[in-house]
Amino acid sequence: MATNPMEQFKVHKIGPEIEVSGINLSFTNASLFMVISAGLILVLLLFGTRQKKLVPGKIQLISEMLYNFISKMISDTAGKKAKPFFPFIFSLFVFILFCNMVGMLPYSFTVTSHIIVTLTFALFIFVGVTILGFVMHGFKYLKIFIPSGVPIVLLPIISIIEIISYLSRPISLSVRLFANMMAGHTMLKVFGGFVISLGLIGGWLPLSFSVALTGLEILVAFLQAYVFAILTCIYLNDALNLHH
Amino acid sequence: MSMKKFFALLTSLLLVERNLYAAEAGMPQLDPEYWPSQVFWLIIIFLTIYILISKIFIPKIKGSIDMREDKIRKDLEEAKTFREQAELKLKEYNSLMETAKIDVKKIISKSRQKLNEDMRIKREDAQKKIDAEILNAETEIKKFKMDSLNKVNLISQDIVSNLIKDIFGEDLNKSSIEASVLQTIKEYEKGK
Repeated sequence: MATNPMEQFKVHKIGPEIEVSGINLSFTNASLFMVISAGLILVLLLFGTRQKKLVPGKIQLISEMLYNFISKMISDTAGKKAKPFFPFIFSLFVFILFCNMVGMLPYSFTVTSHIIVTLTFALFIFVGVTILGFVMHGFKYLKIFIPSGVPIVLLPIISIIEIISYLSRPISLSVRLFANMMAGHTMLKVFGGFVISLGLIGGWLPLSFSVALTGLEILVAFLQAYVFAILTCIYLNDALNLHH
Repeated sequence: MSMKKFFALLTSLLLVERNLYAAEAGMPQLDPEYWPSQVFWLIIIFLTIYILISKIFIPKIKGSIDMREDKIRKDLEEAKTFREQAELKLKEYNSLMETAKIDVKKIISKSRQKLNEDMRIKREDAQKKIDAEILNAETEIKKFKMDSLNKVNLISQDIVSNLIKDIFGEDLNKSSIEASVLQTIKEYEKGK
């Protein structure tokens, strides 16, 4: 019979329990799928860069397209100054993309459907960007909360709104990815459950829904990785090129 | 299946399912039991791929892309220099042709001039010769005329003196005969 659609998000440890000063750091199924995703990335890049061909093969083409795609994304949103952060954005995009895509395989685990994972990324980016902003501009970085061309009367309200929106960046960034992945996978599971409970007679309808949803979820998996990376670029842009 | 029936089925199914899951409601994501573990492994794994990507793969990919762009740029430059060379050669050829044409024109005009000059000199020479010939002939004719005239005079005088001798039987003064003959000839010429 159908199981709990949230069952798929359960984390359980694999292998021995690892405890460091009372904190449970055991290797879990989540960690396993992180390793699988990372391994797939490394395999792709390894084969993609094994031979430098003038006319690239398929895998080399994929890795070069990835490179050009992210390179263009960064230069479009954050400009030339963001060049040193290219490896980070590249790794971030590829890692999230592969975690999302690996999660689309049946019986696998979606690493990015866990708020703690996305929050770790988002907090790291938030803290990093904030530090970067203060390092680059000093206290002038606080100008980010004072948009130009706003009447003096509205300035206190606008500034408060700006501060709130700035502080909510890690939350929106992490919840967007996590909620999208969780919702999609839950929905897939629910429709999958319908297929079983309706059986051979009525199961075809939810099955077709499932198929359609799978296509949609693959799109979402790519899109959310892209959104996460591009938002990181935009935050970087705010810190690097103080517009306000 | 009508829409109404379908929705009725769907709601009933949802109710059944909800009852099934009632026992284990909630999101495993919010269970903090494995949070430290997830963060720990995420950091380790992400750091690993970040280091590998930034130190090995990105330089490699960049290298192959740069290599291709270099090759394309070099090829384009080479093609450009080749084109320039070809254009230079064409210019050279054109200027060569131009000078050759000018030379040919010069040669033609020069030879024409020379020919004209030669013809002029020859013509002049011939003219001079003809002129001299004409002059010679004229003087000869004049001389001949004079000679014949003198001869006619002499003959007339002879005839006159002979006639006078025959008629009158005496010789007249030769000089008076001469004068009267000349007088007659002059009057004859006048009368003509």
